[in-house]
Amino acid sequence: MKLNSILLIVMLLIASASMGQKYVTKTGTIKFYSDAPLEKIEAINNQVNAALDTETGDLVFRVLMKSFIFEKALMQEHFNENYVESDIYPNATFLGKIINAGEIDFKKAGTYKTQVEGKLTLHGVTKSVKENGTLSVSDGKIMAISVFPILLSDYEVKIPGAIAGKISESIDITVEVTMSSVN
Amino acid sequence: MKIRVKLVIGIVLSGIIALLLVYLFIYNKPHTNYETEEVTSQLAVKELYHSFLSNKPLADSLYTGKMILIEGILTKTETADSMVTAVFVLDQGMFGDEGVRCVLLPKSYDLITRFKGGDRVKIKGFCSGYNDTDVILEHCSILN
Repeated sequence: MKLNSILLIVMLLIASASMGQKYVTKTGTIKFYSDAPLEKIEAINNQVNAALDTETGDLVFRVLMKSFIFEKALMQEHFNENYVESDIYPNATFLGKIINAGEIDFKKAGTYKTQVEGKLTLHGVTKSVKENGTLSVSDGKIMAISVFPILLSDYEVKIPGAIAGKISESIDITVEVTMSSVN
Repeated sequence: MKIRVKLVIGIVLSGIIALLLVYLFIYNKPHTNYETEEVTSQLAVKELYHSFLSNKPLADSLYTGKMILIEGILTKTETADSMVTAVFVLDQGMFGDEGVRCVLLPKSYDLITRFKGGDRVKIKGFCSGYNDTDVILEHCSILN
């Protein structure tokens, strides 16, 4: 019994040592931008949850759609009610991995090019995405930035016929998160 | 002839006024004044959090997208990117602390400094929903 307890403690120690350090934030930023003849659309969300496991490269983002803030109140209303239907689909999530995590020294200050792939779920539709980003390690924190376009049609976000063609079908997404260690 | 001219001028003027009203009050209508907006519910921080945990669709229908007033024991205040957040920690999970997070309006930045962890605080804010770790309230004002 005593031997079993010692073995269990040793196994737990080995397991915890092999687990990567986890970095998280709850105040990450996602912006989106689209320029088109009818309307320039710009919004920001400062309540983005992000978590990174430096051992596995696993990366998670969670966003509440109602937290996107627009300059114009009417645009914010249309975004929530007609486009992303945030009452039905309140969250957007990304579950993925830094493909080249093994090449990054998360303990050494520096800037690294990264490739991230995973599943992005928006408006109830899940799509595989593979994007490039930049990751900076500094003062025990990890800052990640990525800019990439998405197509509204990929996520079944419908633009009303009357204004189709006047609102851009492609939206540029900018993700910026600064994560701190939780281990 | 004169009547016709007057009629045309009248129609054009009415059109311009209508367009102006649409521009001012619909297209360019201001954001909700979150400070003066009436609350639809008043409840304890723990009750709000556990209602999302136990039945998210019901909690969404009651609180998400609405101004609510909550009261509870403050755990801490966080400042990030010039945003101040009052945090009520009720659990631990994948993202560390979990509970209710209230992003304050700039007018409440000074007020929150009067409170420390362990103090009872009353906060009014717009509930953005539950992101599987925290219930988020935004545009919040301190009421005590």
